Amino acid sequence: MSMLEEFQRIGRDLFLSGLVSSHGGNMSVRMGDRVLITHRGSQLGQITEEDVVETGLFDNDSGIMLASSETPVHRTIYMQTSGLAIVHAHPKVAVALSLFEDEIIPIDNEGSYLLHKVPVIASEIASGTAMAGIVAESLQKYKITMVRGHGCFAIGQVLEEAYQWVSCLEESALVIYYSRTLGGQMKEFRKNADQYKKW
Amino acid sequence: MGGWVGKIARINLSTGKISVEDLPQKTAVDYLGGRGLGARILYDEVGPSVEPYSPDNLLIFTTGPLTGTKAPSSSRFSVTTKSPLTGTILDSNCGGKAGLRLKDAGYDALIISGKAAKPVCIIVDEKGIKIQDAGQLWGKDVNETTDILLGQAANPLTASVACIGPAGENLVRFAAVINDKSKAVGRGGVGAVMGSKNLKAVVTSGESKQIAADQETLDFIVYEARKVIKQSPITSIGLPTYGTSALVRVMDMMGAFPSYNFTESIFEHLNDISGEMLREKLFIKQKACWGCPIGCKRETKTANGTGEGPEYESLWALGPECGIHDLEAIADANYLCNRLGLDTISTGVTIGCAMELEKRGIADEGVRFGDAKSMLKAVGDIAYRRNHGDALAEGSRRMAEKHGAKEFAMQAKSMEFPAYEPRAMGVQGLSFATSNRGGCHLRGNMLGPEMLGVPKIVDHSGATGTVGLLIYHQHISAAFDSLGVCKFAGFAVSDELLARMMTAITGIEFVPQNLHHAGERIWNLERLYNLREGFTSKDDTLPKRLMEEPLKDGPAKGRVVKLAPQLEEYYRYRGWDANGVPKKEKLKQLGLEA
Ligand code: SF4
Repeated sequence: MSMLEEFQRIGRDLFLSGLVSSHGGNMSVRMGDRVLITHRGSQLGQITEEDVVETGLFDNDSGIMLASSETPVHRTIYMQTSGLAIVHAHPKVAVALSLFEDEIIPIDNEGSYLLHKVPVIASEIASGTAMAGIVAESLQKYKITMVRGHGCFAIGQVLEEAYQWVSCLEESALVIYYSRTLGGQMKEFRKNADQYKKW
Repeated sequence: MGGWVGKIARINLSTGKISVEDLPQKTAVDYLGGRGLGARILYDEVGPSVEPYSPDNLLIFTTGPLTGTKAPSSSRFSVTTKSPLTGTILDSNCGGKAGLRLKDAGYDALIISGKAAKPVCIIVDEKGIKIQDAGQLWGKDVNETTDILLGQAANPLTASVACIGPAGENLVRFAAVINDKSKAVGRGGVGAVMGSKNLKAVVTSGESKQIAADQETLDFIVYEARKVIKQSPITSIGLPTYGTSALVRVMDMMGAFPSYNFTESIFEHLNDISGEMLREKLFIKQKACWGCPIGCKRETKTANGTGEGPEYESLWALGPECGIHDLEAIADANYLCNRLGLDTISTGVTIGCAMELEKRGIADEGVRFGDAKSMLKAVGDIAYRRNHGDALAEGSRRMAEKHGAKEFAMQAKSMEFPAYEPRAMGVQGLSFATSNRGGCHLRGNMLGPEMLGVPKIVDHSGATGTVGLLIYHQHISAAFDSLGVCKFAGFAVSDELLARMMTAITGIEFVPQNLHHAGERIWNLERLYNLREGFTSKDDTLPKRLMEEPLKDGPAKGRVVKLAPQLEEYYRYRGWDANGVPKKEKLKQLGLEA
């Protein structure tokens, strides 16, 4: 599968599963000292060849004119972590939870197993240098991080892996939401449930 | 502080002097231990003027901060030296108990220098270190040597013997050190360097006393790590049921299973030698290295004896690589390699190369494709450098070169390739070409992402983008080798879990990025070592066959390795110049500037 097909496949899935709105979110992969990133304002569900643009990792070039406005965040993440792919999405339930919590601790089996804990960081400007630094620092320790009221950034060795963390987070957030709606006392099934907070 | 003991012992075999020094904490954190620590010491102390068999070459046994701890699959240790096979920096890694007993005795590492006047062995326990006469052991095979030395140990249950067989004594360039009778410190000739020092064995003993800075957190992380091992079909079913030979069928299915010295990429007698057949015919019971929940080892039997293995690589090298499909003969050859102290991969591939030379009418080294008897005889002859064995004991590159036919040696930097056909994979060829110890799969194996889908399946047609993935794997592999954890655990256990275990054990905060950064530092230091030895980008290459002769058959039919563009991308990605030399900024970033 070519890199373009990979962008198309993941972009389409992100949109169809409601993890991004029509023009929301962005994705990139690192190719050495270059970054392939989605075009500013592109529709992730409808990616064409023109929607994936190339720019420098360390230095600006004319590619930056077309690249996602969150390119500086992606660059900082690549410079500070071992991630080779980034997915930024706006998972609705996780975003809602982030408005109430400082961290999202999954209670479902898959989320507990794969994520353990997702930190929530606060920044009003989505593309600022300050936020880029905080997100990158968090991703040194966690594979996915929420930005309060905004969305999540996930890293992986490939796009599909980063997408998996996003999808998993949203499902965990949904389970938390449903169980809170149901109320009552949750029956714990995880041996070390009290340890997840320390993750 | 948990993780590191904080002590390194030096033993000079020429003078008999033994001393103990502290392991500086910065070195420990920057290089982790194991392979990284060995590389740092070798770089600082063994320069280009030192020949591999010179008394000035060092033989360095190192453990990692996770060796012998509760971390799963953490019995690993490394032996570092300048290789007599490749001339490069070399470290070889092993899952026997020698490393954890060394740590239990109170040392992170042993630095052995000099050359004893007569055969000796080194005895390390909690009371100290002594050099002991080993005259009566010289000439004995690995099993005999191990039994005698364990019989002399105060408590054989807490002792471990790492020794050489006749191959190491006879300076076979790919002689191994064998630990606990069956676990090889296999590649690159560490056994020959040990033989050149007149050192027959290192015996380490101690009672386990590894502590953790935060035991409660460690227990939790270890519980989570064991959970993912149980959940993965690779580590919970494939490897435990079939051992590493589970790969035989998988690799053949992908057309990536070389045979007949890499002239074919599938094997017509596959069913005779598959993991399933091995289980049906030879299997006695599953075995595991110390502290490993996976247990990919197996005790097996043939009409002629019992032993461990053969592993996937050994089965392939002594089997299909030589056109042989007699499973019992392959297992017997594997047992023999262990007893004589030979690296099975280099042994098989060197014999396979000689078989091709014979088939082409170039030279007759006494072996024929498909002839198990001649292969078995060659194994014995190599270890004792008898007859044709003397030429074969030099390794495939030197042996083929002697006949003016270097291109038929399947090696990079003189180290024989393992069981992966690079033409059928995306960047495995690049991995072989850039490996700092020569053609090997354990420095950054693309098996996970390209074949098994770990973490996800990626395009293995060599499309752009996978070079970065290879570099990622080269770094994390260096970290595994330095921490003291088996890379097979890495099919399930993530860098994140490893970093959290490191934090809980050492009390120093580690995040995954620290492990990748340490891996990159180690990789670049090894590169600097090889550059200082005179290696250049011209040595980052592969045999012509892989780059020019398209595969004749199988799913990857028609493909060759397009090395040049991949190499260019690789150097750029690494922050090296066009000649493969790390740039100043890169060295500064890694704290490696002169
Ligand atoms: S997976 Fe196999 S080689 Fe690795 S530690 Fe376990 S038993 Fe040993």
